[in-house]
Amino acid sequence: MHHGNFVDRFCAPVAKAIGLALMAATLATSAASAADPAILKIWTRSGTDARAAWDALTAKFTERSGLKVELFSATTDFEQRLARALSSGDLPDVIINDSSTLGQFVTLGVASEIDRATLVNGKDVSDRAWQGARAFDGKYYAVPFSVHPFVLFIRSDWRAKLGLPVPKTWADLQALSKAFAEKDPDGNGKADTYGLIILGTVTRGYASWYLSTYLWQAGGDFIREAGDSKYRATLTEPQAATAVKYVRDFVCVDKSAQPGAINAAPFDAVAGFRSGQAGIYLTGPWNIPVFDKEPGRDKYEVVQVPAGPANGDVLAEGDLAYIVKSSTNKAAAKAFVEFLVSPEGQTLAMNPGGSPLVRIAANSKVNAGDVFKDPRWDTVNEAYAKHGHYMPNVPNWSAIRQLTAEGINKMMASCDEDIPAGLKDLNTRLERELAKQKVLAN
Amino acid sequence: MHMSSRPGYWRWRRAPVPWLFLLPALLIFALFKYIPIVKGLGMSFYKVNFGAAWDWVGFENFQRAFEDSDLHVAVLHTTVYVFSTVVLSAVIGFAMALLLEGPAHHLRIIRTSIFLPAVTSAAVLAEIWRILLASTPYGVVNSILAWVGLGPWGFFDKPDQALASLIAMATWRTIPYDMMIFLAGLSGISRELHEAASIDGATWFQRLWHITIASMRHTFVIVGVLGFIRGFRVFTEVYATTGGGPAGATEVIMTHVYKIGFVEFDYGYSAAVSFLMFAFTAIATTIYLTWERRRKHAR
Repeated sequence: MHHGNFVDRFCAPVAKAIGLALMAATLATSAASAADPAILKIWTRSGTDARAAWDALTAKFTERSGLKVELFSATTDFEQRLARALSSGDLPDVIINDSSTLGQFVTLGVASEIDRATLVNGKDVSDRAWQGARAFDGKYYAVPFSVHPFVLFIRSDWRAKLGLPVPKTWADLQALSKAFAEKDPDGNGKADTYGLIILGTVTRGYASWYLSTYLWQAGGDFIREAGDSKYRATLTEPQAATAVKYVRDFVCVDKSAQPGAINAAPFDAVAGFRSGQAGIYLTGPWNIPVFDKEPGRDKYEVVQVPAGPANGDVLAEGDLAYIVKSSTNKAAAKAFVEFLVSPEGQTLAMNPGGSPLVRIAANSKVNAGDVFKDPRWDTVNEAYAKHGHYMPNVPNWSAIRQLTAEGINKMMASCDEDIPAGLKDLNTRLERELAKQKVLAN
Repeated sequence: MHMSSRPGYWRWRRAPVPWLFLLPALLIFALFKYIPIVKGLGMSFYKVNFGAAWDWVGFENFQRAFEDSDLHVAVLHTTVYVFSTVVLSAVIGFAMALLLEGPAHHLRIIRTSIFLPAVTSAAVLAEIWRILLASTPYGVVNSILAWVGLGPWGFFDKPDQALASLIAMATWRTIPYDMMIFLAGLSGISRELHEAASIDGATWFQRLWHITIASMRHTFVIVGVLGFIRGFRVFTEVYATTGGGPAGATEVIMTHVYKIGFVEFDYGYSAAVSFLMFAFTAIATTIYLTWERRRKHAR
């Protein structure tokens, strides 16, 4: 007699329920993995403020091509999410990211080679922009659709109140920063304002990214080409020490940099500028719409970065669209990328009044000043054309950026740290990394 | 009853019951714990290439761990962090358990509110502590320090204070957790022992030492072992406050592993280091628990 016992009465339904649940789970996973091949999957490294613009752009693409798009965007740990997708073989068809990860994507076998000649609208993309998509081996592995230089954001209301000029030299910048920290530019009677915002964190190599402009302006560099596609590490040059000392003095001597500079990432920096804690920020033009909202368009200005002892170079970068090597949807991916660099796509992506996905159009037929109708974008254009300086094309710049950020962070963290000694040690580590990437000159 | 006449059959029929109850949890554990652990171990013998075949490197990744001076520094920082946090929070947690022991209603309210930090997400706590420990003269803690003529201190911004600041934060977070375990331990001690000792003329301190602490030896072991395991895999608290900086002063094993794996994309090596840490915690815990059990039996 079976019906009376506990096992049958209780466990049979439980087992049945578990079985059903398992079956449902299996069905769900197989449905997800057998994704609709007609849907083009795109990942962008962008925040929520840019989401509406991306949605509008992809909707227009769908309207034009009839191809459906599934968009995923994130800024926090974007590369880490990508790594997870990579290791589980679940990559999208197109990845949109900044140019600093090019080498890494090529090395990891994520990016597929692009033929400039057969790309529709490819010939209209400027050579300068293509430079940002050229990998170490001289081939192109992405399509540049936006470029930008660094510019300087200054609280114009503070500067006007103190009656100081727009800084043109390193000394001017130092003086302005000091005045912002000491002369109560917001007039609230408290010593709670600061001048220059510095990014000192090692996270994502920001310290290195931030310092590069000063390093070049001092006449120094991280590495220099020594012929035959090999490089020497050049942080032992005295110019490098000049640059590190110049930036560190804002923290250690003048004490005019924002508090917490040593651990600051862009997120903290933007918050500091918006809230009126600090009044000078060296960064990219994507912050224009952010700062227009707060502290407000009439309260700040966008100016050329003051020149250093050697030159006026500023960091230039691009945003790249990668067609993923493993994609089974390459024709659609190519169509999307071509749309992205078309005059229509470029103009739409500039998104005047909102978050600009395209800062300076890679397509030379589209002019940022014309689209935005905003003189500040002329400043941005001029900075890129005259002073734009790209990071070198090594197999893996991300690794070098991380390594140098750690070294720079260390020298910035304690005011009595010996800078030339720190740079000497960092240079040795840099040489080791170049050797690891097989590009160290003998 | 015919069931008792066939005990073997009955036992066989009943054997799957506990497993059926455990099945959902086991499935989830397998999916999110056991399978990844095994996969991770497998990965540590390879140079992981994405989009291409992996290269077998044998024990090279493990060998590298013993030569990686950055990892050694991270191990040192983690060790300092673990021992300071475990000892400080156990001592303070025990003291607070003694103070807050008892059935009174107000004590229950206090105990609940004190427990809150232990159930708040580490990332949220990190953000709050960053605000509290802001290095500006008008930062919350710096303002308080100024009243007694101290500071302003740099806290997370200074290489010589960052690790101590982290330890303070972790201790603050762990105290209520430890306190709860101690409270449970205290409730297990018979009142009669205390009464008998009092009649015999034992002082408060003698009772604390010979009765309370002596009967709670096992509780101390639990608090220690849990703190040890939890401490060695610390990540969120560090990543959300200092990211391992400044000047690498707070680089711990997990932030180092994270950097190797997710910044440099060297999955093989980062899996090897993670596995070494897993093995270390497992072995150290087993040795300690075995030693403790032997000692108990020997008495």
